[in-house]
Amino acid sequence: MTRARSIGMGIVHLWPIALLLLSWDAWVVLNGYTSTVAPRPWFVIADVFTGFADYVPSILYTLGMALGGLVGGTLIGFVGAVLVWWSAALSGVVTPAALIIRSVPITALIPIIARIVGYGDPAVLASTMLICFFPAFVFTLSGLAAIPEAGRDLFTVLGANKLQVLSRLGVLYALPNLMVSVRITAPSAVLAAMLAEFLMGTSGLGALFSQARSYMDMERSWGTALVATVVSVLVFVGAQLMERRVESRLT
Amino acid sequence: MNTPTRTSVKVAYSLAGGALLILAAQLIGQFGLAGRAWPPVMDVVSYVTTPAGASLLWRNTLVTFSSAAQGFLLGAVIAVLGAALALVVPIIRPGMDRFAAILHAVPTIALAPLLITTVGREDAPAVIAALSVGFVMFVTMASGFANTSSAHQDLFTVIGANRTRRLARLELPRAVPAFFDGLTLSAPAAILGATIGEWFGAPMGLGLVIVSAMQNYQMALLWAAAMAATIMSLLAYLVFIQLQRVAMRRFT
Repeated sequence: MTRARSIGMGIVHLWPIALLLLSWDAWVVLNGYTSTVAPRPWFVIADVFTGFADYVPSILYTLGMALGGLVGGTLIGFVGAVLVWWSAALSGVVTPAALIIRSVPITALIPIIARIVGYGDPAVLASTMLICFFPAFVFTLSGLAAIPEAGRDLFTVLGANKLQVLSRLGVLYALPNLMVSVRITAPSAVLAAMLAEFLMGTSGLGALFSQARSYMDMERSWGTALVATVVSVLVFVGAQLMERRVESRLT
Repeated sequence: MNTPTRTSVKVAYSLAGGALLILAAQLIGQFGLAGRAWPPVMDVVSYVTTPAGASLLWRNTLVTFSSAAQGFLLGAVIAVLGAALALVVPIIRPGMDRFAAILHAVPTIALAPLLITTVGREDAPAVIAALSVGFVMFVTMASGFANTSSAHQDLFTVIGANRTRRLARLELPRAVPAFFDGLTLSAPAAILGATIGEWFGAPMGLGLVIVSAMQNYQMALLWAAAMAATIMSLLAYLVFIQLQRVAMRRFT
């Protein structure tokens, strides 16, 4: 009973999406747009379902690149934060570098990466990693900074070295924060992967989108946009679930 | 007691580290360690100082800046109004929250076809910037509004304040720090959104310059345009973080 009720409430709370679909349809019909200008939502959804086999390789590629970049970038951010926490001199190099990386718009970074490492998978992966790096760095650092003095004192008294403080105590404080950063960056990773694919046009959803656009295949190009949105939302929801699990495990 | 010396040591480390990074970038370029695509920093700087390069960069930076600023204003205003509306009319709140999360997860590149047919190539950068800013602002404002203590809420109810008065006297002032947090986070998002919009056939702007320089292998121009976008984003961030500090001192 309560389960059915909560599902019902979940559907009711999706009203903005239903509103969006209906107003999209009304907008196309009322303006009398032909399908080369803007397709109706039902045809786009039909194209996604009938041509799903065409979408699958692109979805898998983009998903793989986004997840790989998410994991890699988060790990590098974590290591960078641990280095800064470890040594003040290292923080002198890592902190300005992190500030600059934070401020570079990914649109400016992708073309440079593409030119340096060449068009292809490494460029896509490098772009997604760079966009995930900074949040992981900042959140890990703030987690490590939140280790209470008393805990550190206890570890010092018991004769623990810095590595033991880190692995026994620091990880406990840094992991929940790291999961927050994963949740925040998950959609950005999908966006970065798609932007890189769009620009280089090799494979993935971004490339599919750019091809459909150049062939004026509006249903396919809007369908790609729809599929990309669903993929991105799913990645976000997955990250959210993982965050909750880690949090309930650690606290 | 020892805090001033520690901050000055930190600043010295950061300055030394920054200089070291620039030197490393220069050396990588000079010895061609990353191939032809990584020019020495001095080449990029000397390109920026030529009159042609400077005027090209300046004009396009202004275009991107104005799209980003328009989008920033539009997105911030709509998001604050939306969060306030969701606060005053609680029944729409869960729907709005979920919608904002979905809207945030939409890769902005996917909205490009929609925006080009609706608002046109010239205005698409500002609208994409507004969308990127809007989500960040909505989420930070919603959590800022929710930040009031229940004792305060009860006090206002007992005194007989209605919903709008409570919003004006209690929740809005409490949400000021969150507002500035949101601005700090969304300033770079606005510039990113504007440059994404410019990839889709805008007539001018840094995003366009970056893509065309990449395709024509003009590495000095590519790096200079990327640096211009980065500096703009960095400056916006630094300005807003200063504002945030002032606001934090006043409102907490």
